Amino acid sequence: MDFGYTPEQQALRREVRAFIAEHVTEDVLAERGSSESNTGRGEGGAMKRLYEKVYERGWLGITYPKEYGGQGGDRMTQYIVEEEFTRVDIPVGMGGSGAPAIMAAGTEEQKQYYIPGLIKREISFALGFTEPHAGADLASLQCRAVRDGDEYVINGQKMYTSSAHMATHIYLMARTNPNLPKHRGISIFLFPMDTPGITVRPLWTMQNDPTAPIGTTYGHQRTNETFFEDVRIPAASLLGKENGGWRVGAMGLNLDRVGASRYLISVRRDEDIVNFVKLNSFDGYAPAKDPAIRDKIAELWIEAQVCRLMTMRSMSIVEHGGNFTYEGSAEKTWAPEHGVRTTEAIAQMLGPYGQLLNGSPHAVESGIFAHNLQGAFQSGINHGSTQVMRDQICRRGLDMPRK
Amino acid sequence: MAQCPVCGASVDEAAVRATTGFTAHGASEMDPTKGTRQFHDGKWVYFDSLECRGKFLTSPETYVRAS
Ligand SMILES: Cc1cc2nc3c(=O)[nH]c(=O)nc-3n(C[C@H](O)[C@H](O)[C@H](O)COP(=O)(O)OP(=O)(O)OC[C@H]3O[C@@H](n4cnc5c(N)ncnc54)[C@H](O)[C@@H]3O)c2cc1C
Ligand SMILES: [Zn+2]
Repeated sequence: MDFGYTPEQQALRREVRAFIAEHVTEDVLAERGSSESNTGRGEGGAMKRLYEKVYERGWLGITYPKEYGGQGGDRMTQYIVEEEFTRVDIPVGMGGSGAPAIMAAGTEEQKQYYIPGLIKREISFALGFTEPHAGADLASLQCRAVRDGDEYVINGQKMYTSSAHMATHIYLMARTNPNLPKHRGISIFLFPMDTPGITVRPLWTMQNDPTAPIGTTYGHQRTNETFFEDVRIPAASLLGKENGGWRVGAMGLNLDRVGASRYLISVRRDEDIVNFVKLNSFDGYAPAKDPAIRDKIAELWIEAQVCRLMTMRSMSIVEHGGNFTYEGSAEKTWAPEHGVRTTEAIAQMLGPYGQLLNGSPHAVESGIFAHNLQGAFQSGINHGSTQVMRDQICRRGLDMPRK
Repeated sequence: MAQCPVCGASVDEAAVRATTGFTAHGASEMDPTKGTRQFHDGKWVYFDSLECRGKFLTSPETYVRAS
């Protein structure tokens, strides 16, 4: 057991930092979080050029096989690269991309088409799982896909399809057989967003506030409702087997929970609070010298280390082909809740000013801390809520009865 | 015109569905102020607001029968 980094890993981290210092320029930062930057096709092109350089360095798709445009590398390398880029809020990982499920269940043709595109960030999926009446109880979804010759015809609606307005494709869960038990009549389809019959309706939530300053966790992007009406797609859009979508989806979601992304979101917040405390003083009052604040910071730092170790453990299980069941759920509970505690602690330190959003004349640093506080709750809801995750820990990890 | 099954307001189905533009990658976008709809039991039901749809979701039977 070795918890340290090897000399090569340390060198890699330095190399990534130097790259970021040189290439993540003001124009890149300005494009961050714009609707186009999602696929690296930004109008200004700064983000696209950055991704090309990152790709040339071999830092995109690190853990994916070379024949699909990846690097055939290990998860620790991926983790280090991702951790460094997270500090400047530039996503370079594949978490939530749909790629793990395609690798596991896709046809050769699907892998050849989607994986290189996802790695180079030329393709991105909106995730179409949730419906108005099917969230935690996802298996009761009603969106229908009916086979018609060489095609499927999709009718239905999805809720909170977060990147539907930016994505090139959709990863859709739909019911292919309404007569089977609910978990067994579901299939997954992959198809382009410009297929006729798809409509996107903007939806703003507490976590998605258009006035949030750039750099806010989640904050500045809207989510959506997405409607499908007689959307005709080729039968080859099916991922995995017809009516086998529940297993593919659950496995994909579980793998998506592994690894860096959850923890890394919280890393930013952890650094925020330490920097804030160290760098500010108010009329002679230095928070860094206040025992109560020091206590809180130490506590949050310990929590962050727990988060990091859980992340490392699940990465190592997957890396060694082990059986990965409830570990992702544990991580998916701890990391978001830690994120909430961190943003709440910052808000408490700032007092009433910490609640003011961007645009208020007295907002602290454009309200970024207040927006982060609102946004922090999201990661405990999407991709499986913390309550549902706890239930999975009991069932899968502790062998407790279903009810 | 459709009728919101919850509050009875009239809802212009065409306006709810009207395309106002396109997303970066070609899906139709619509105006969120014109109401919304719900794919219920294989049919579209129209609402004047998300609030009404929220109420409908909690007990669709009440409103489907009433409308
Ligand atoms: C900002 C945002 C972005 C999102 N992005 C996407 C996306 O891109 N694609 C997508 O498909 N979905 C997305 N989601 C949807 C998200 O996955 C759902 O919100 C989530 O699954 C919860 O479903 P729900 O909102 O319907 O809540 P409900 O299912 O109504 O749950 C409400 C509460 O009850 C709890 N609960 C429900 N059932 C149980 C149970 N059996 N035991 C204990 N507690 C329970 C839940 O944990 C939750 O706290 C997003 C959500 C948000 C808020
Ligand atoms: Zn109404």
